[in-house]
Amino acid sequence: MRGLALAGAIAIVFGLGSNYATGELGIFGRVNLLAGGTALIVAAVMALRRSRGFGTPVARGLLLRRGAILLLLVLASIGLERATARAGLRFDWTLDQRHALSPAVIELLGELPDDLTATLFYDAEDPRVRGTRVLMESFRGTGEMAVGERVLDEAASEADRFGITSSNSVVLESEGRYELVGRPSEGSIWEALERLRQRDRREVVYYTRGAGEGDLRRSDELGYSGLAEALATEGYQVRDLVLPATQAIPDDAAALLVIAPERGLRPESLASLQRYLEGGGGLLAFLEPGKSSGLAELLEVWGFDSPDAVVVDPAAGPVEGGAPGVHPLAHSYGDHPITRVLNANRMTFFLQTRPVEAARKPRPEDRLRAIVYSSPRAWLSTDLEAIARGQVPRDRDTATTGRFALVSTGAYPRGERGEREGRIVAFGDSGLASNAYLRALYNLDLVMNAVAWVAQRPESTLTRRPNMLTEIQHPLTPQQTLVMFYGAGLLLPELLLIAAGLAWIRRRTG
Amino acid sequence: MTALRALIRKEAAVLFGSPVAYLTLAMVGIVTALVFFDHLRVYNQTLFVWSSSTMGGFETDTIPDYINLRVLVFLPVMEQLALMLIGLVPLVTMRVFAEERARGTDELLITTQLSSGRIVAGKFIVAYGLVALMLAVSFVYPATSIVTAGLGLRHLAAVYTGLLALGLGIASIGLACSAFTSSQLVAAVSAYAIAFVLYDFTWATQFLAEQPALASFLDQLSMHPRFGGFAEGLVAVPDMVYFAGLGAVSFGLAWLSLDLERVR
Amino acid sequence: MSEPSASQAGRGCRIEAQDLVRRFGDHVALDAVSLGVEPGETFGLLGANGAGKTTFIRLLTGYLVPSAGSVRVDGLSPIRDARAVHARMGFAAETSRIYPELRVRGFLRFAAGARGLAGRDREAAVERTLARFSLEHVASRIVGNLSKGFQQRVSLAQAFLHDPPLLIVDEPTSGLDPLQREEIRAQLAEARGRRTVVLCTHDLAEARALADRVAVLRAGRLVALGATEDVLGADDPLALFRPGDEATA
Repeated sequence: MRGLALAGAIAIVFGLGSNYATGELGIFGRVNLLAGGTALIVAAVMALRRSRGFGTPVARGLLLRRGAILLLLVLASIGLERATARAGLRFDWTLDQRHALSPAVIELLGELPDDLTATLFYDAEDPRVRGTRVLMESFRGTGEMAVGERVLDEAASEADRFGITSSNSVVLESEGRYELVGRPSEGSIWEALERLRQRDRREVVYYTRGAGEGDLRRSDELGYSGLAEALATEGYQVRDLVLPATQAIPDDAAALLVIAPERGLRPESLASLQRYLEGGGGLLAFLEPGKSSGLAELLEVWGFDSPDAVVVDPAAGPVEGGAPGVHPLAHSYGDHPITRVLNANRMTFFLQTRPVEAARKPRPEDRLRAIVYSSPRAWLSTDLEAIARGQVPRDRDTATTGRFALVSTGAYPRGERGEREGRIVAFGDSGLASNAYLRALYNLDLVMNAVAWVAQRPESTLTRRPNMLTEIQHPLTPQQTLVMFYGAGLLLPELLLIAAGLAWIRRRTG
Repeated sequence: MTALRALIRKEAAVLFGSPVAYLTLAMVGIVTALVFFDHLRVYNQTLFVWSSSTMGGFETDTIPDYINLRVLVFLPVMEQLALMLIGLVPLVTMRVFAEERARGTDELLITTQLSSGRIVAGKFIVAYGLVALMLAVSFVYPATSIVTAGLGLRHLAAVYTGLLALGLGIASIGLACSAFTSSQLVAAVSAYAIAFVLYDFTWATQFLAEQPALASFLDQLSMHPRFGGFAEGLVAVPDMVYFAGLGAVSFGLAWLSLDLERVR
Repeated sequence: MSEPSASQAGRGCRIEAQDLVRRFGDHVALDAVSLGVEPGETFGLLGANGAGKTTFIRLLTGYLVPSAGSVRVDGLSPIRDARAVHARMGFAAETSRIYPELRVRGFLRFAAGARGLAGRDREAAVERTLARFSLEHVASRIVGNLSKGFQQRVSLAQAFLHDPPLLIVDEPTSGLDPLQREEIRAQLAEARGRRTVVLCTHDLAEARALADRVAVLRAGRLVALGATEDVLGADDPLALFRPGDEATA
């Protein structure tokens, strides 16, 4: 009987071992599993027939008690596992909380129809599928989305129907419509969900052009087409406005973007902007060091001081090839709806920025506030030439060190638009909204929340958007690799082998 | 508690009085280092090819997302560590109860103040400690890489938690098998068989296309899918409960076995 | 834990076996054995190999559960009142029932701790036992590297650690040379009268030298029970051991 059980167990080990080794359960595996399972069943039956030693009351009592405890343990384990699974209890210990869905996604899921489904199409050998499965589990855990999987080999017709061309693709379906997500991440799925929702596009955001401003139609790194896409995703209608040809800013403008004009704004344009703001309009103004367009002077009227200098923050190391500190990484934020979702772990990146201080209130009832700060070790440099050449500025010794505001806001409760109040968000840098950097770190959240605040959307829409993950791709240096290998890979086993030898000697001679 | 403490000290002294424990730990360290070093070498080569000027380089954003340390080095090494655990842990646990029975020293233990439950508890604790030590040795190398690669200490803790849960789950199976026999060979083979069966039920679910409920149940019962989330930095409470349940049921079985021996 | 009854304090334990039966499948290892051991008595349990002596010992220690009947130590069940019974009991099995990886002192420390001794009490018990059994000079040696005689001595020593009122020894001198046997017997003789000793042996000389009363088992049945000189003083005491010869107590 024991021999039979042992042979059966060995057969199962080899049967399943062949499955794990080759990835499929072939003839060898199946025969072994069948033979092994049969042998174990026969051995179990033989053992039961021989077990007559359990007839005494003491033996029965002992076995019943232990058996009851065992059964209780099994049931308790299953019950607790199911309960915690239904409750979706889990902890995201990743550095960037990649598994925690952002509030924007959760809110969006709640607004979508109940028939929302997501299906992952994949090849079995695709290493990316594991991460995507974990992501889909996060969506499933909200209870707002049914999640399924299909192996591509077995779903050819569906792959054709949805236009799937690669593994690790997700198809979202709702009310007879679908969206294909080729590179699933929380962000790309969120955008696809927004397209499925077909949000009513009410607010109109205008961007000015005609004085060399940043162009939302331009798709290279220096363009702002990414910002246009993000605005469209969040339900804004985006229109351009040729400022020199405009007498007045349209009444339907929920917000107006002026992105670092290269050339001076005409007095008529500045007057239009002034009237727009006096009438309770909303403005997002992006400045740039070295550019004098009159925009900074306009902002000065509204309480902002922005000297033409660069904030150099030594707390930020050299980035993008520039001198150290000329591209600040900000992680200090004021208490404001725009920056409420940002904190010391959610940094924003600025590419050479002017300071923008909330200096004074034009009227007592106005509210001005700085919302993004440099570190206290920053200083202002007017050596724009050296900075443009990538060199260290020469005026360090004469500069004052301190904390500088990089983004400031103003709210002006007046105007002729009923309960609307005029709002301004002034950025000292336009690069953070460009295609190259809009999705770096938490820049997108800062810029889009600023738009939502200026457009006076409900505060709940000022939220943290899905992570746009950037994987660590850089290699470990050969030196780092070797140090680790010699240390943990060789030294540790060496010490253990020495310990093994000492234990053996001790056993022999002790 | 005095008796239980004495048993734990004795178990640890017996375990580490033998060179086998050190040899096992050394083997774990060497195998892990070799596997990790090999994956890292291939990754660096892959990255070099992608980042060379002929391929476009980092600046042109042509390197696919999945070419990164996490997906191509770290996660595959974790998978191999999991398989290594299946291979090595039963060799550690096979002697825990079986050797006691073969020597007859279980009779000595029963006549002390140690109940069968405490005997099982003491042996489980020490075996778990050795498995944790095995994982600590195996994890030193990947851990230094993880921290350098910027995945964060908490992510590291999540991965180690998953490996520990898996290792202790396999150890629990091995201990229960050891409790039912006096032969270390039988203990090891039966532990392998059960661990292989429970590791991943995809070999069975392929035949259950018409019975998705059963396939789902088997999927819930297997260890490998439970381990995956930890590698991604997710500590899911249901998965922790699963492995804790595996430990608890194995404990119950080992306890039952000790008492079965007395009434058979 | 129940306290030893006043009549047994300092004298040992009372043992009562009533119609004790143990089966292993179809094999009856013990067949309705009834006997009693008085406090302070050294009781010899004799029989050929396979007679059921070890089975009886295992039922007495609680290692096995009876198929029928009962055995009691001071009225307590070794199964239901295991801790109380084991607190009264020191058990020395054969040589192989030790941990060869441990040092002598470490093994005795473990045995003392497993019996509930801690701290200074434990250390004092270990040192006292090392001295009593003349094991001081091998205290730091690995048990597995000792001679068989010393291993046997260590195995017996651990049974004395907590000064139990009941001592159960199974084949204590098996495989030892004459000098070693004398040493072990001297230890057991010293216990006579001060504690109950159940001595399991198939050495008649040993039983004559040490036991007050003996019981003889044959094929699981009790075939003789009485004073040592009565049972073993017969013309052919070996007749009790031969299969097929029945004699009554």
